[in-house]
Amino acid sequence: MSPLLMYQLVALMLLAIGLYGIVWRKSFVGMLISVELMLNGAGLSIVAASQLTEAGNSIGQIAALFIMGLAAAEATLVLAIIVVVARRFKSVETDAVSRLKG
Amino acid sequence: MMELLAKIAFAVYAILILGGGTIAVGAHSLVRALVGLICSLLGVAGMYMLMAAPFMAFMQILIYVGAVCVLIFFAIMLSQADAQGIESGTRRPGKAALSALTFIAPVFVIGFILVKFQPASISLPVEVPLITIGKGLLEDYPVAFELISVVLLAAMGGAVLLAFEKKGRKV
Repeated sequence: MSPLLMYQLVALMLLAIGLYGIVWRKSFVGMLISVELMLNGAGLSIVAASQLTEAGNSIGQIAALFIMGLAAAEATLVLAIIVVVARRFKSVETDAVSRLKG
Repeated sequence: MMELLAKIAFAVYAILILGGGTIAVGAHSLVRALVGLICSLLGVAGMYMLMAAPFMAFMQILIYVGAVCVLIFFAIMLSQADAQGIESGTRRPGKAALSALTFIAPVFVIGFILVKFQPASISLPVEVPLITIGKGLLEDYPVAFELISVVLLAAMGGAVLLAFEKKGRKV
């Protein structure tokens, strides 16, 4: 088994665990945690693909840095949305927040 | 082939990542789930070290463990989650089957493709000097670099706008 394949399998497991969590979780915070797991899997996979093959090394790390920046922006926005939803619905359960009215 | 020590380190990090991830999606208490997420992120940082990318490991700890996890902790605190955890309640029927399917499907499909078409891999990764990454960010991809800054600024401005409580008006 090549080293690249081992890293890719770990990244794939991170993606699958994140997908499982995003369906299984009932609250927005739990879903946010799952999304972070999936983004980490993506970063790990990209860095592994650039470090362990003949492709350019720096571009993989730059792409992973972009992923980290996007994750930070996404977490900020989701935090604000959770605050607004918790204030308006008094709950962050996805089942309670199923009313689509302005 | 990897050295024996590197293999042991890889196994330790893999256990840390997968165990932490399992806790992160399975724990009833959201704070425990956050601790699992931190374990998982630290394991990923260790794997970056193993791949001769120490700068990425540093940024992983700085941004994810330092910033994003604190943000998630704020989200847990501000969402007034009760002590028992809303995750422990009953779920709609069929949700367990659906989530099991979302776990199994990518593992089998992508895993099969990965194992079937194994990409060629070099055994010893080389470390990229930091100056190359900096040059790549500022000379080769300056537009993407600026755009990510604008996205961060817009997200933070939007977050402040969303969470800002207006006086006299029911939100």
